[in-house]
Amino acid sequence: MSKAAKRVEIKAQKRLKSLVRDYFLNLDAAADDSDRKVAWCTSVGPCELLVAFGFEVYFPENHGALLGARKVSHEYIPRAVGEGYCAESCSYMTSDIGSSLAGYSPLTEAFGIAGPPKPDVLAYSTNQCREVQDWWSYFGRKHDAPVVGVCPPAHLGAITPDHVKFVRGELVRIIERIESHFGMKLDHAKLEEAVALSSKASSLWRDVLDTARARPSPMTFSDGLIHMSPVILMRGSQIAIDYYEDLLAELKQRRDDGVAAVPDERFRLYWDGMPVWPKLRELSDKFFDLRAVIAASTYCNSWAFDEYDGGDPLDWMAKTSIEIFINRDEGFKQSFLTEMFERFDIDGAVFHNARTCPNNTNSRFGMPQRLRETLDKPVVVFDGDLSDVRFFSTAQTMTNIEAFIEQLEERKR
Amino acid sequence: MSGPLFVGVDVGSSATKCVVLRGDGALAGHHAVPSGFDYGESVATALDRALESAEASRDDVAYCVSTGYGRRKVEIADRQVTEITCHARGAREWYPQVRNIIDVGGQDTKVIRINEKGQMTDYRMNAKCAAGTGTFLESIAVKLGMSLTDIDALAMDSKADAVVNSYCTVFAGTEVIERIKEGQAKEDISMGLFRSIASRVSEMIPAPDGAVGVTGGVVAHCRAMVRALEEVLKTDILLPPMPQHAGAYGAALLAMESSKTSKGAEGVC
Repeated sequence: MSKAAKRVEIKAQKRLKSLVRDYFLNLDAAADDSDRKVAWCTSVGPCELLVAFGFEVYFPENHGALLGARKVSHEYIPRAVGEGYCAESCSYMTSDIGSSLAGYSPLTEAFGIAGPPKPDVLAYSTNQCREVQDWWSYFGRKHDAPVVGVCPPAHLGAITPDHVKFVRGELVRIIERIESHFGMKLDHAKLEEAVALSSKASSLWRDVLDTARARPSPMTFSDGLIHMSPVILMRGSQIAIDYYEDLLAELKQRRDDGVAAVPDERFRLYWDGMPVWPKLRELSDKFFDLRAVIAASTYCNSWAFDEYDGGDPLDWMAKTSIEIFINRDEGFKQSFLTEMFERFDIDGAVFHNARTCPNNTNSRFGMPQRLRETLDKPVVVFDGDLSDVRFFSTAQTMTNIEAFIEQLEERKR
Repeated sequence: MSGPLFVGVDVGSSATKCVVLRGDGALAGHHAVPSGFDYGESVATALDRALESAEASRDDVAYCVSTGYGRRKVEIADRQVTEITCHARGAREWYPQVRNIIDVGGQDTKVIRINEKGQMTDYRMNAKCAAGTGTFLESIAVKLGMSLTDIDALAMDSKADAVVNSYCTVFAGTEVIERIKEGQAKEDISMGLFRSIASRVSEMIPAPDGAVGVTGGVVAHCRAMVRALEEVLKTDILLPPMPQHAGAYGAALLAMESSKTSKGAEGVC
């Protein structure tokens, strides 16, 4: 790679920093205000319900990712292990619990706030993993707050009306429990509004990701990881929509101007599995130097939902929560990945085998091998983790990635 | 010394290897030294001694490719290439018919598959763990107060089909102690260690399709490793003349090929 090649930063990033700061400062203020209430929610949980009830919504998985990105997770995981949480269970969970026990939060350094806001209620969906149930329960006990959740059917092939009906029923039970506990009544008009806003933000997010279909791609996986914050943290608000409209316009302009996320793009890759938050920059630099763009990923697509058609908002919430990739069976996943490879004109795929996240790892049941055989595309699997660097070998992974690019080079000759 | 020389340097976790080739591809010199703490020093020693054996100096080097985990520590290198590609290139030069290459190294083990055109079609590396690598053997050898060569000699005298079942190096150490307590012959325990590695390797190459070759320091020093692989994989294994130098040899061959295109040849840099 030419040493002169430089990244052309996405301008919207500056505004994003300010939006995220405002989001956390608002949460902190809400936690100190007896007239306002805070809900904790899983990243693809029943967020819209909580918004409609008037809760300020906080997402602990984001805190887990921040601990990872700050390269400190491994310092706090032992505290959680000491409390009986296995070191090989979700490192978001163990680092979050451990940091809480140690009284540390990266939010203090980043935004000057004490840490995560105290919850009035904790809501989860096990549509991504079952660990969240125990993670939320820990903090429910700690803060003496009610824990409500949905345990939808998992590993689904086709989604049937029965599946949707079941999850809708679970959502209704959450509503009843919150209404009864807090003496509130759900405003259905507000729920429809939150769902419509959520859906709109999600559609725009999908359009943002779709700009990477261009050659050269105007964005890469690491950009996606940065810019996905609003579709998670600010879902159900106009703020996320406004942000993605601007970001989309900028990316379309970059695409039309031929601005490449990776100058002299040689290879287009797909990333499956969790990011390696503590090694994000190193991995991004490695692919950049190798002139390989990660044009698409399973992870960033996790928040690209089907559009809301104006029907029953609970039906939409139920359906979107179970039709996400991670909640599907191997057959669906293979079809999805095949379609993504074609859609983004992918040369090869990188599979992250995340030690503490088996649910969001798709290399444990022969998927990479099946895709290689059916699509004739090289694949590589590397061992690592989303947050715990002790499960990651930099030298081994970098060699693995470089050898993969050498393999792609040989195929090109 | 007449004519330009092409050099490959393989800086591995255990040893640094250097191979020097003449313009016609003939071997001019080679040398291996322990990598130690100072990669710069081990590279200089391996390079200078290999050049000495070729009756040449650094001024005669036309192009150099470095490989191995310490490949970026080779200042003289014009290009860096991973050991996966270099081992494949070296093994293919010795055995054009080879389709599967098993590199049992000190830090990791790799299985590389190549097609009839010599292109790498797939490769696998062991997980981040000592199991299935030279480190596994070294660790147990230290525990028993023996050298690798001693364990290899014992294993080659084994007549039983004993296996050490544990993959984990720590658990394997405990299992070895249990076997000793049970009175199992040291020859059989030693061979069991090699079978444990071979069993781990077999996960990366469940059904060899075509000829299988081996490279790396472990097979260079331990014939029992080759025997165990042949038993577990149920196939003959091709053992090249300089298995420990396969990566450096491949790097030297790539140096020859790179120099034919250009100094700034496109590649991993």
